[in-house]
Amino acid sequence: MSLLNYTVYRLAQGFITFLGAFLLIFLFVRLLPGDPARLIAGPEALEEDIQRIRAHLGLDRPLYEQFITYMASLLRGDLGTSIKYGTPVLEEILARLPYTLALAFVAEALAVSVAVPLGVLAALKPRSLVSQLVSVLAVVGASLPVFWTGLMLIFIFSVELRLLPSSGAESPKHIILPSATLAFFLVGNLARITRAAVMESLSSNHVVTARAKGLSFNKILVRHVLRNSLIPILTVASVQLGALLGGAVVTETVFAWPGIGSLLIDSLFFRDYPLAQGVIMFTVGAFILINIVTDILYALVDPRVREILWKAA
Amino acid sequence: MSELLKVEALKVYYRLPQGVVRAVDEVSFSLERGEVLGIAGESGSGKSTLAMALAGLLRPPAVIESGRIIFDGLDLTKLGEGEWRKLRGRRIAVIFQDPGTYLNPVYTSGFQVAEVYEAHRGGRASRYVELVKDLYRKVKMADPERRVHSYPHQMSGGMKQRVLISMAIAEKPDLIIADEPTSALDVTIQAEIVELLKELKSETGSSIIFITHDLALLLEIADRIMIMYAGKMAELGRSSEIRDNPLHPYTRGLLSVLKPERKQKLASIPGSIPSLIDPPKGCRFHPRCPMAMPECSRVEPRTVKVNGRTVSCLLYEG
Repeated sequence: MSLLNYTVYRLAQGFITFLGAFLLIFLFVRLLPGDPARLIAGPEALEEDIQRIRAHLGLDRPLYEQFITYMASLLRGDLGTSIKYGTPVLEEILARLPYTLALAFVAEALAVSVAVPLGVLAALKPRSLVSQLVSVLAVVGASLPVFWTGLMLIFIFSVELRLLPSSGAESPKHIILPSATLAFFLVGNLARITRAAVMESLSSNHVVTARAKGLSFNKILVRHVLRNSLIPILTVASVQLGALLGGAVVTETVFAWPGIGSLLIDSLFFRDYPLAQGVIMFTVGAFILINIVTDILYALVDPRVREILWKAA
Repeated sequence: MSELLKVEALKVYYRLPQGVVRAVDEVSFSLERGEVLGIAGESGSGKSTLAMALAGLLRPPAVIESGRIIFDGLDLTKLGEGEWRKLRGRRIAVIFQDPGTYLNPVYTSGFQVAEVYEAHRGGRASRYVELVKDLYRKVKMADPERRVHSYPHQMSGGMKQRVLISMAIAEKPDLIIADEPTSALDVTIQAEIVELLKELKSETGSSIIFITHDLALLLEIADRIMIMYAGKMAELGRSSEIRDNPLHPYTRGLLSVLKPERKQKLASIPGSIPSLIDPPKGCRFHPRCPMAMPECSRVEPRTVKVNGRTVSCLLYEG
């Protein structure tokens, strides 16, 4: 019951955050120098043609009027029409969305499934090779540019070994290289956080109690060490996922992956206000949702957090 | 009475980069079934390290350097982790000092107690809720029906200590090691917990090793008392003997601290416990000892029997 209350409360709160963010996005996109009408008309266009295009797009009206018009259409579920493509913005975003979702979730899942076992092993044997590997990965993974990693993977697996496709998204095989590239970037940091969290749990007194009860090593590890290490791991993983949902622009470009990130860059270059707004709003919405889900997960993991959050709701 | 535990010349060392800490150095004693043995000493005397060694809960850098711990015919120093697992919680149980940190904050108290049954009887912990409620009634927990579902942060210090005691007595162990079980509690709660431990002892018949810096408490509940100083045993004797006729100058010092009517100001033993990396030569207590003789700084006292009592002091040698 409290879980439901809390979720509803957080969704309402998230909606208000979303409206605030929406206003900022609307303004900032228009603050960018450049004029979409001029870009559409081309360099040779007459001034009156440009004015006509501007009036057609509604850009000659004052900002507050544009805002109200936009809000009104938004309430009807209409995100506007892309200036560049002439198609509904929602359609453009929905066409790209599955690719972004797939890439983000596969990359994060890959990162978690490598980083967490690695971090746990490193914590159990702090002086081992695995532990040193984690330290190296944390530095190397985060400091190597993603495009370089991507190109190396293409070179090895596409060019030399001819095992995997290097670009596009036609088959499930196509997701392997871009998600591996992103996961390589994420894994080191996540493993390092896991190692630190697990080492701290391992040294806590309640683990001594668990040993004193005669519990088996596996039960101690899963129940009294891992479970208590989950919060920092969840925090990092959810921030990573949020960033990926905003579009992994460089990775998408290297692998010609038709996701949200490349759509956003396109729309900004073309001053395609409705499209840029739509994509950024989607990103903001994704962040807000992930934050809510993460807080709910915290509450499920730790009863103390649960009490505080549900009191707040 | 028959012997349950025999500790022979036990040495527990911490191997640190700065040097070797001789936390427990050649300590020997035995424990009868059903007996309460008190171990008293200042912080840093090695009493908690001794407790962890007896429960097989030492963690690196602490290691058993030498000596034997014979528990019911079994040498505990030679046990593997798998054999220890069967012993811990079932035949040897521990009650820890700070009940707050020794409970896992993310599970209900009842689940954590039920884990003892799960570890030794199998099945899921949830099967044992009724047994846990019985235990809570035994340790006089208020509202046991509700408290099995409470998380540690919803309970007071006294309640949490009762949870730890429930874990310890769940399988009616032969030996309960209580490591400062009352030190983190309010004075009134302390008295309740001590009273409870006394009752449980007569009910379960378990032997208890009660470790504390509170000698007055031990004089009240222990059958015999071992006084530790800087990793060494200073004296071991029946509680009444320790109280009425202490042999070791350190024991006398501790007792005089307990009797403030003899002096107006708060009494204390001058000086503080020495470093166990580089302990004083000879008797470790000699720098603080009011009765020190010249040879005390050169000759390490042996443990000798005097009229059936055990003491390590040159006053009683030769």
